[in-house]
Amino acid sequence: MSLEIKNVTKIFGTSRKGEGFTALDDVSLSVKKGSSFGLVGESGSGKTTLTKCILRLESLTSGTIRFEGKDIHALSKAEMRRVRARLQIVFQDPYASLNPRITIHDIISEPLIIHRETVPMSSRQRTERVEELLLQVGLSREHLFRYPHEFSGGQRQRIGIARALAVKPEFLILDEPTSALDVSVQAEVLNLLHRLQDELGLTYFFISHDLGVIRYVCDEVAVIYRGKLVEQGPVDDIFDHPKDDYTRMLLNAMPDPDPDLSPFRRVE
Amino acid sequence: MALLDIQNLQLAMRSYEGETQILHGIDLKIERGEIWGMVGETGSGKSLTGLSVSRLIPSPPGRYLAGNIDFGGKDLLKASDRDMRALRGRHIGMIFQDPTTNLNPVFRIGTQLVDVALHAGHDDPSILGLSKGASRSAMKKAARKTAIEMLDKVGIPDAATRIDDYPHQFSGGMRQRVLIAMAMIGKPDLLIADEPTTALDVSVQAQILRLIHDLVAERNIGVLLITHNLGVVAQICSHVAVMYRGRILESGPVREVLKHPSHVYTQALLDSVPTVHTKRGELRGLSGLSPEAFA
Repeated sequence: MSLEIKNVTKIFGTSRKGEGFTALDDVSLSVKKGSSFGLVGESGSGKTTLTKCILRLESLTSGTIRFEGKDIHALSKAEMRRVRARLQIVFQDPYASLNPRITIHDIISEPLIIHRETVPMSSRQRTERVEELLLQVGLSREHLFRYPHEFSGGQRQRIGIARALAVKPEFLILDEPTSALDVSVQAEVLNLLHRLQDELGLTYFFISHDLGVIRYVCDEVAVIYRGKLVEQGPVDDIFDHPKDDYTRMLLNAMPDPDPDLSPFRRVE
Repeated sequence: MALLDIQNLQLAMRSYEGETQILHGIDLKIERGEIWGMVGETGSGKSLTGLSVSRLIPSPPGRYLAGNIDFGGKDLLKASDRDMRALRGRHIGMIFQDPTTNLNPVFRIGTQLVDVALHAGHDDPSILGLSKGASRSAMKKAARKTAIEMLDKVGIPDAATRIDDYPHQFSGGMRQRVLIAMAMIGKPDLLIADEPTTALDVSVQAQILRLIHDLVAERNIGVLLITHNLGVVAQICSHVAVMYRGRILESGPVREVLKHPSHVYTQALLDSVPTVHTKRGELRGLSGLSPEAFA
């Protein structure tokens, strides 16, 4: 197992009087090495809180999160830094997650500098690594010294992926990586993610509210609703034979591009 | 006569680098009872087409090179600002993408709705159920009543008390319902909805689509629905126009266009939508197809 989440509960606002808000309620799931795990849910269901807990950007109220056997929330700061080099994240909004004032070279090499203990490199080696990464995500060497505003949304997301891959992580958290993109661009980014997984043997933790995207990318899926996992299992099982009412509702609500499947279409 | 008839609409925008033509001759005819979907990628000009109909593109930087937009026997491109103000909200309703920014946070929902109702009522008091020459206080009273009825209609529970809430007390889906109520309060003949469900969850999206669908069935209005989501188009639209770089590549009844696309671009766009049936490796982007192939 690459990532094991056991009975994780997160309650916000317990310090004041009152019960607080339960953002995650007894969540358990495990992600196999080399697989893609999808997490689906509506806004406010706790998807992002869970990623923050995995990255230890939020503390847990109870439960454990183990990454390759190590309890993430029990590690020292230095140990956590080493874990972070192997556990990277790609953010949702490619327009907000890149610093507009520094070049692509500097953006992608930043994690290499932060994790210099884990991946020691000279500055020339860093530049070579950045070039290699750009090629890997389908950009080229000439993009090296440009600024984020010179790129389209899809290209920026590729830069975000290159940055996440810089320190050669094994585990990638993808927090709605394509929801800000056009469908045509989304298709290209999803195919890129497929290719990178095959080439580098990555493990994905993929968050989305788009069930089509989840089915396309993931092997296993968990459906989260108001902080609780209502259903999880292999993607085909969940999609073809949903057991939970909420999952069924989500599947039905997803608009299919086939006009004949519309619930509104009058019989003509 | 068609409800809305756009002919050869050509729009150019001025920037520091000179003038660029954005719309290269748009032709579109919307009849009552039709829901027209306008799909395309970012920057294809679908929003600017919608904004042109309500004449919300400032000039400069915008400049219409040619074309006309006939609505109710008038060419909107030649209409005065005064005429347009009378049309907007009253005959042309509009809903925009982001329900969080389109309501004023410092005014109650009711205040904002009543404002629109009064504006429409000045033009035609029958909207508020009054005859001409009604007193100001009667107008205000009737406007509030109409606002509550409208909120109720779009499915806000307990509308009579929720009307005095502020926007932040409403969820995203509820705010979008308020915006739809606001757009429908003047009983418009044409509704322009620019990405009305893009910011919403799928379950809420389904509810909003049903609402729009029911409004069309009930009031026999025409709708121009701008979206990049082909699924949404397939669900509720009767017709669809596919836009690319300021041109309509293909348009017609939704089943015809989506089931048997005659244009490579439409097919490519359809191939890039992951559905619950798409298997790994089947998805195609648009790379490899040159822009010239679509022209």
